[in-house]
Amino acid sequence: SSTDGPKSAHFDICSKNLKYKFSENAFNTNILKRHSGQYYTLPPTHIQKLFPYGLPPRFQLQIKTFNEGCVMVRPPALELISYLKRADYSKPPLRYVLYGDIGTGKTMSLCHALHYCYSQGWLIVHVPDAHLWVKNCKELLPSSSRPSRFDQPIQASQWLKNFKITNERFLSKVQLERYVWTKRESTEKGQPLGELIDQGVNRMKSSSDVVGAVLRELRLQAGGATEGEGAFKLAVAVDGVNALWGKTSLKKEDRTMCEPEELTLIHNLRKMMKNNWSGGAILTALSQTGSVFKPRSAYLPSELLGEEGFDNMEPFVPVSVSNYNEKEFESCYLYYLDRNWLQHPHSRSEEGKKELIFLSNKNPSILERLCAFL
Amino acid sequence: MAASVRHLLKPWTPSLCLVRWSRYNPYYLDPDPSKDARVPESELSPEEKELQELKTVSPIKAALSSDTSSAFNDPLISKFINMMMQDGNKILARGIMTQTLETIKRKQVEKYHKSPAAKREEIECNPYTVFHQALENCKPIIGLASVQKGGKSYQVPVPLTDNRRRFLAMKWLITECRDNKHRRTHMYEKLSQELLAAFANEGNVVKRKHDLHKMAEANRAYAHYRWW
Repeated sequence: SSTDGPKSAHFDICSKNLKYKFSENAFNTNILKRHSGQYYTLPPTHIQKLFPYGLPPRFQLQIKTFNEGCVMVRPPALELISYLKRADYSKPPLRYVLYGDIGTGKTMSLCHALHYCYSQGWLIVHVPDAHLWVKNCKELLPSSSRPSRFDQPIQASQWLKNFKITNERFLSKVQLERYVWTKRESTEKGQPLGELIDQGVNRMKSSSDVVGAVLRELRLQAGGATEGEGAFKLAVAVDGVNALWGKTSLKKEDRTMCEPEELTLIHNLRKMMKNNWSGGAILTALSQTGSVFKPRSAYLPSELLGEEGFDNMEPFVPVSVSNYNEKEFESCYLYYLDRNWLQHPHSRSEEGKKELIFLSNKNPSILERLCAFL
Repeated sequence: MAASVRHLLKPWTPSLCLVRWSRYNPYYLDPDPSKDARVPESELSPEEKELQELKTVSPIKAALSSDTSSAFNDPLISKFINMMMQDGNKILARGIMTQTLETIKRKQVEKYHKSPAAKREEIECNPYTVFHQALENCKPIIGLASVQKGGKSYQVPVPLTDNRRRFLAMKWLITECRDNKHRRTHMYEKLSQELLAAFANEGNVVKRKHDLHKMAEANRAYAHYRWW
């Protein structure tokens, strides 16, 4: 069943019990538990809207090659979705931290949970990789509003464009307070959110401040208006959250190192991580691969977040992500066979499978890179 | 008995010094890392039994660190990696090769998934068969050698050994990708394009092979200048 048919009310399970299509009741707990270890197909419209930038690059290549996006249902994502279902949204948001060794599937589990939030109609604030904001910035402007801060116009405007694509239906709903950008430009009270974002995208100079304003607005309005049309739940998803409290590799003009505190984007995102608002959830994942000045062997929250980060994030719900178990490995192997990806004749034999297990230690990313050239 | 063999185990120089020779005495056997080498005794003919006896007794050369006993080991791919390697950077050369195989597979599998069911059988998705077939298509059948006769040197058509043909095919592929392509594309991208073109009998390398064949055909008259 490799053709994408219309969204049906019931789901198809292919003959090998391997894949099933996303549908309205795809996130029902019993159904998810039954399909643990199996793949489910993400509809292409959802991928375009929700994940133009959020998925890992190798997975994006895989979607392009196989002509479909399939995610494996794994225990960490199931845990996260069950917590999201049972949480009380009148109270301050819970912080969930996905941690694990390199290549075990933290970003994919985060994206799975985010897809759940999107299908339930939440407003998504997704920072695909916070590490991109603390390193390799070509333009670092001194902030227009505050003297000791630095702006990153390119990153901020890029993020605003992506936010616009994901949350199109919320652009007209949300109302604002008054913000003043320069002597001549200001956004009045009661204007829709879409105008604020356009302001940020068009005027690159103030885009970082616009990001801060957007986040503040969403924080204020997520919990309020529990009944009526304006109600929405806010999902804040940050990948590589340890970038917010680590060191940056950016330098100021006098050649001293920049602290993350001095960057507007990081400062505003830190405010988002505090739980002084209500009506949503904060989903985060740690990441060592993009981090600056952290050793490769560090994967625990205390090591990657550091003292300051841990104190700020505490209390949080840790969710551990590990390598595939045997059933999941089987499922991944069968999926690659089904998609005609494992071409080498030896890899299709029993001995070849044992070799793959030995070489990859059932680590998802290493297995993927191995099977790529076999 | 043991005393007579001792002189064969010492470092050795050939009596006629060639360009490429090794310090191993020819008495040493080549290592065979594949697991299929072990066949039960009943299935062997008497000559093969003798060979097996010889293998248990004679010394064997040390295996290269790039040879594995796994069935994923391909001698042709190893040779190509060695030819691509510069300054001994085998890790980089091997990385480029794996990326090339991956790119070939991605292009073919994407084509496979987007085409209707009728055309799917014709698309070859296995990067190893694509590589082998492309190399076969690039191998020249006949070559040219420069022979001096009467003060002038003539290009004489000459048969080529298998090793020489394989070497020429690989060399042409690598130089074509290094020199004649756009500067800013990666090597694996250039290689995959050239290999897929050679698989379909198109592209610059196959053209170069055809040009060599035409030159040999044109110089047919000088074929009798060859004395070997």
